[in-house]
Amino acid sequence: MKEKIKSLLEDALPLVDLDSDFLFAELDSLGVTTILMILSGEFGITLEAADATPRNLKNLDSIVAMVQQKLEITNKRN
Amino acid sequence: MHNAQCKVDGGDHLSNRGWSEATPPETLEGYLKQDAERFPDKLAVICGDERVTYAELWSRVQRRAEVLRGCYAPHKIIAIRTSQTIDFLVEYFALHLMGAVAMPLERDIPQQRFDEIGHRYDDFVAPPEVADVLFTTGTTGKSKGVMVSYDTIIADAENLIAAMGFAHDQHFVITGPLNHIGSLSKIYPVIVTGATLNILEGMKDLEAFFRAIHDAPGKVATFMVPASIRMVLQLGKRQFAELADKLEFIETGAAPMAHSDMLEVCRILPNTRMYNTYASTETGIIATYNFNDGETLVGCLGRPMKNSTFFITDEGTVACQGRTLMAGYADDPEMTAQVLRDHTLYTADLARIDEQGRLRLMGRNDDVINIGGYKVAPTEVEDAAMAFDGVKDCICICEVSPVLGNRLKLLVALDEGAALDKRALARHIASRLETYKVPQLYEAVPAIARTFNGKLNRKHYR
Repeated sequence: MKEKIKSLLEDALPLVDLDSDFLFAELDSLGVTTILMILSGEFGITLEAADATPRNLKNLDSIVAMVQQKLEITNKRN
Repeated sequence: MHNAQCKVDGGDHLSNRGWSEATPPETLEGYLKQDAERFPDKLAVICGDERVTYAELWSRVQRRAEVLRGCYAPHKIIAIRTSQTIDFLVEYFALHLMGAVAMPLERDIPQQRFDEIGHRYDDFVAPPEVADVLFTTGTTGKSKGVMVSYDTIIADAENLIAAMGFAHDQHFVITGPLNHIGSLSKIYPVIVTGATLNILEGMKDLEAFFRAIHDAPGKVATFMVPASIRMVLQLGKRQFAELADKLEFIETGAAPMAHSDMLEVCRILPNTRMYNTYASTETGIIATYNFNDGETLVGCLGRPMKNSTFFITDEGTVACQGRTLMAGYADDPEMTAQVLRDHTLYTADLARIDEQGRLRLMGRNDDVINIGGYKVAPTEVEDAAMAFDGVKDCICICEVSPVLGNRLKLLVALDEGAALDKRALARHIASRLETYKVPQLYEAVPAIARTFNGKLNRKHYR
């Protein structure tokens, strides 16, 4: 999953260093929106403003963890 | 010789401040001084954990101006890197106060570009009435410095106050970069009315945006480009709707807004005035339309404001007149004459005036691409890309995404045997241009369409 997310985000945000541990600081508003919209579309999960936190978007690992957590919630509902 | 310090004077006459006096100040710094004298303990600016009163802000500006007096000659154009901080505001006001011209550039502009623009006017002394030089692509499709006068700043403030209702007891939330006219121009009415400014670090932390509105003691107003409104509707509609009673008005502009977004924001904020404004760095703030009026007209930009007029030329483009027009392009009389003649500013915006005297925008008469309120000349992007190894030909076009709005896309024809490394190409362009000019999307193509005389065939890609 990590490689898939990395590939998706690299494609959409060519300037962003996805290996950074300070990802949130490097992103602008459009970057945050792009990440949330791409991930929600790709994985069928609901992401909203409350998810766009410095903690969730700290680095690629924290993004993967956020997606996994959302997938678990979605699966429980289903 | 002109000295901006001499322009700081007394008096006030605007009713939105709650009192009236005979002689209004002639500069924004004059109003700031008065604010500090009349209500020294009033909160002037909030920025994260930092808060300053009007007395503190004025004191910091005076101290900084004293330092700058030893550094710069009057009327010199001084480039400053913009930041969403109180320090930036202090620097901006202090440069005016000591008589220099402030040229705020984008925060993450590459150093090479900052130096190039910063030294562009080394041998140029601005006319004494000029307060700012704002860098833009705008009307001519090329990057250049727009000279904005002290009087234009006050005229813009008066237009905004009269048309939208900026007021002394209001908190105004700024989320956009302060080198862009959309956000910078909101500082003007806030200072003139003695209101409170809340500066945020963009819109990426939406929770912080909602908190700034929620925590304000009274009514709140803000400016959001259409892309930001769409972002909030997609990611935080519920929280936004819960703030409906706090939001007195939202101003938008700088780019077309989808009708569906207009209708949705009116639905969730039924009592909030929603202004779609016609403005540019060259024209100043010209007209506005409250689209939360039951009609919600697409492309309607309303009637001219108190210091402005407009008409439609024989070519169908908008021409503007009044106190808000630029003073010209810095050190470029030829380019100035292309757009500014006989106190009239000729834009490339195609429009008509409806039966009620409202401006109805229909598009642009040039190749400029609007990205989140920033105007991008595709030739600048193409010139930067052509300097990258392996790029034989390229064209920069606009791709419209239903979710993310306008995005730049670069179509690239490569030298034989070369491969497209889009991250390397993106970084190459970013090392030469402002971030908003770097395409998000890249595609290798066999060839770029050109016209019979060898020019890029832009119509082919629309």
